[in-house]
Amino acid sequence: MAAEQEKKVINRLASMKPLRAKVNETYLRSLEAIQSGKPAVWSMLNFYYGDPILKAMDIEVVYPENYGAIAAATGAAPQYLERADAEGFPSHLCGYSLVTLGYAARMMKELKGQVPPEAPFGGMPRPLFLMASAAVCDARYKWFQALGRYMDAPVWTLEAPAPGVREFFMEGYFESMVEMGVKHLRDFVSFVEGMVGRKMDRDKLDHTANLMIEVNRVWHEISELRKARPCPMHSRDFWSAMPAALFLAGDLEDSLRLYQDMYREVKERVDNRVCAIPEEKYRLVFAELPPWHSLDFFDRLAARGWNFVIESFGYRPPIPIDLSGVTDPLERITRFSLQFFAGYYDDASKQNVLGGAFAYPYLKYAREWQCDGALLHPLISCRSASTHLPYVSNLLMEELKVPSLSIEGDIVDLRLFNPEEALARAEPFEQAMDHYRRVRRS
Amino acid sequence: MSSKASGLARAREVYSHRAQRARELKAEGSKILGYPCAYVPLEMLTALDVVPYRTCGDIREPVTEADRALPGSFCPVMRTCLDCALKNRDDFLDGVVAIHSCDPQEKTARVWEPYTDYPYFHFIDMPGTVRPEALAYFRGQLDDFRKTLEAFTGRELSRQRLAAAIECHNRQRRLVRELYELTRPSPPLVTGSEILQVVKALMSLPVAEGNDLLAGVIADVGNRSDRPARKSARLLTWGSTLDDADVMQVLEFNANVVMDESCGGIRAYRGEVKLTADPLEGLADYYLKEITCARTFRQGSLSGGAKDYAADLQSRFGYLKSIVRDWQIDGAIMLLVRYCDPFAFEMPSVKDYFDTLGLPSTYIEYDYTAGALAPLRTRVEAFLETIS
Repeated sequence: MAAEQEKKVINRLASMKPLRAKVNETYLRSLEAIQSGKPAVWSMLNFYYGDPILKAMDIEVVYPENYGAIAAATGAAPQYLERADAEGFPSHLCGYSLVTLGYAARMMKELKGQVPPEAPFGGMPRPLFLMASAAVCDARYKWFQALGRYMDAPVWTLEAPAPGVREFFMEGYFESMVEMGVKHLRDFVSFVEGMVGRKMDRDKLDHTANLMIEVNRVWHEISELRKARPCPMHSRDFWSAMPAALFLAGDLEDSLRLYQDMYREVKERVDNRVCAIPEEKYRLVFAELPPWHSLDFFDRLAARGWNFVIESFGYRPPIPIDLSGVTDPLERITRFSLQFFAGYYDDASKQNVLGGAFAYPYLKYAREWQCDGALLHPLISCRSASTHLPYVSNLLMEELKVPSLSIEGDIVDLRLFNPEEALARAEPFEQAMDHYRRVRRS
Repeated sequence: MSSKASGLARAREVYSHRAQRARELKAEGSKILGYPCAYVPLEMLTALDVVPYRTCGDIREPVTEADRALPGSFCPVMRTCLDCALKNRDDFLDGVVAIHSCDPQEKTARVWEPYTDYPYFHFIDMPGTVRPEALAYFRGQLDDFRKTLEAFTGRELSRQRLAAAIECHNRQRRLVRELYELTRPSPPLVTGSEILQVVKALMSLPVAEGNDLLAGVIADVGNRSDRPARKSARLLTWGSTLDDADVMQVLEFNANVVMDESCGGIRAYRGEVKLTADPLEGLADYYLKEITCARTFRQGSLSGGAKDYAADLQSRFGYLKSIVRDWQIDGAIMLLVRYCDPFAFEMPSVKDYFDTLGLPSTYIEYDYTAGALAPLRTRVEAFLETIS
C-alpha cells in the first residue's frame, strides 16, 4: 500500500500517456510489418541524421540500444551477456552491446536466423542492414561492426563530427561539417535505395524532415515551460514521452498533435501554478541515462520534495533554428542533426566552458531552470555517458555553487544501482542544497 | 646533446629520462608541443621547428589528480596521461595537440584543456570512416590545425617546408621498418623490449635526432656480440598501447616478441606519407587510412549485397598476414588495455582472422598498472605452454 501511494506522488501529465503508448505500439507494429515482409534495419540512436531517411523510405527500424534496456528490465539480459562472454567479448564493454552481441550469436549460430523464442517483446528480427553512428562513442559503430561475425548484413556507419569548442568557430568550420554531412547522406540514400531496390521519394523526405523539425521544436518549447516555479512537469514525463521525438517513433503527424496537446497541458499547469510534485522544495537537474529499471526511485525522492525539472542532454531536442530557407532536405536534415551538439557551442564559447557539447548544457540547465542540485548517474558500462560527469560536478560548483550527488549504476547490470543506499544519501544532500542556497543568496 | 652514448645505450638513456632532452631543447628556445596519440600529424610540427613530444602515462604512478576530472572506469592510459599532465610532469610543454582518434582521447581532451593553462591547445576532429567525404573533412581539419600552428609560431607553413618534414618523417618510418627487419632472423638480433625503448625514445626527440638515433641503433645491432637468446616462441603482439618496457619484458620472459603491432611499436611506421601536390591531402590520407588502429571503421565492401565476413576480416586485418608469414610468428598475443572499446570489440574478430591463418592466439587484458605485471606473466606463460 505504501508503495502504491509512493507511485502516485508525481503528478504525471495526462498527455504523456498516448506518447508513451506510441513506443510499444510502434514496436509491435514494426514487428508485424517485418513479419509480413517489410525490410528491417537495426539502428543506433543517430540524432535525427539517418532516421528521417529510413522513415521516408518506409523502412522499419529497431534500436538494439533500446532492446538492451528492455532485456535488462525483463530479466532476459543475463543469458545474452553470458553468450557474449563465451563469444570472447570483454565484459566491460557497453552492456547494451553485449546483450545484442549475445542475442545475435544465439539467433544466427543456434537458430539459423530465427528470433529466439525466449526474447522479450517478440525479439529483434533479422535486419536487412545495420545503421551505426559515430556520434558520442566508439561503441556505437564498433558494436555494429562486431555484429558482422553473425549477421550477413552490411553496416553503414553514419559520420558525426565532434568539434572542439574554440575550433568550431574557425572560419569555414561549420560549413565543412555541413558539406561532409550532405555528401555522406547522399551516398547513404544511394546505399539504402540499393538495399531495398526502390528510389527515395524526395517529396516524402522533405515532408518527413519538416515534421521531424517541428515535432522537436514543440518538444523543446515544452521544456522551456518547465523553467516556471513551481515546475509543472517532472523528468519522468520527459523520459516517457521522448521516443516519439528522439527516435521518430510512430506516425510523425500524430506525434506532432500529441506534443501540441502536451504543450497545452503544461502551459495550463504553468498558468495555474500546478506543480509536478506535492511540494517543490528542491529543483534538480538529472544527468545522464536514468535507471530505467528503478524509475519509482524518483517518486520516493518526489515525496521528499525533489522535483526534477530538466535532464539528460543526450536525449534532448536540438535548440530550434530556422531552417525554412534550406531547400535541400538532406542539407536541412544535416543542419538539424548538427544543431544537437552545435546549438550549445556559442554560449559555451562565450563562457569559456571548453568542455563543450557534453558538459556545458548542464551549466545552462542548472542556471536557467534554477536548480538547487544535480543528480549525476555514472554508469559502469556506459563510459560515454559518464566521462564528463566529474567535470560537470566541478563546473556547477565553481560557476553556480550548485552541489552534485553522484549515484553509480549501470544500464544492464541492475545490481549496481542501489535505491536504498541512494536514498540514504538524500538527507545529507538536502543539507548541502540548503547550504549552497544560502551561499548563492549571500 | 649532453650525452655521449649512442645506439641502444642512447635509446635506453632517452627512454629512461624522456623529458631530459625536451628540457634542454626548451632551454635553447625550442617550442615543444605534446601529443597523446599516433594520429597527430607530427610533420606539421616539425615543418615549423616545433618539437613533438608524446605525452605518455606511467604505469607506476598512482592516479590521483585525474580523479577530479575523469571517472575510474575509463581508459587507464588516458587517465594516467592526464594525471601526469595535471601533476605538471611535462612542465616544458608549450601546449598540447589532441585528436579525436577514439572516444577516450576526445573526452579527455575536453577536460585536459580547461584543467591546464598551456599557451596552445588544439583539438583535431577525426572521422570514423575512410569514405571520400570523411577524408575531405579530415583534410579541412588539418588545414585548421595549420592555421593555429602558424598563429602560434608566427611562421608560415610553406609547401616546401612541409614536404621536407614529410620526407624526414618518412625516413624515420623506413628506419623503424629496417630495425624490425632485424627481428626476422631466429634468434632476432634485437629484442622487443629494446625496440620499444627505441620507439619511445623517438617519441621524445626531434625527428632528425630520432633518425640519427635509429641509424646508430641499427648499426649497433648489426655489430652486436650479445645477440638475444632464442626462446620458446616467436610472438606477435597486437593491441592499442604498449609503451612500457617492463610490460614487454614480461611478454619476452620466455619468448621473442618479434613484432609489436601497437602504437608503441610498428603501427605508426608501417606505411609512408605520399608527397602530393597538396601535402595536406597526403597527410590526411595517410593518417586516416593507412594507420591501422581499431578506431577506424572498415569493412569489405558496401555494394549493397550480403556481407562477406572473410572480405571484412581481410579489410580490417589483412596487413597481419605478411607479418605472420615473413616473421615466422608462432603465436599472437592480443593485449587489451582495460576499457579500450575499439580494440575490445575487435578481439573475437581478430582471433577469427588469426584462426584463418592457422595461428594460435590469446587475448590478455591488463589495466596499465605495474600491479598487472605478475598476472600478465602468468597468462603469457600459460599461452606459451599451449603452443610449445
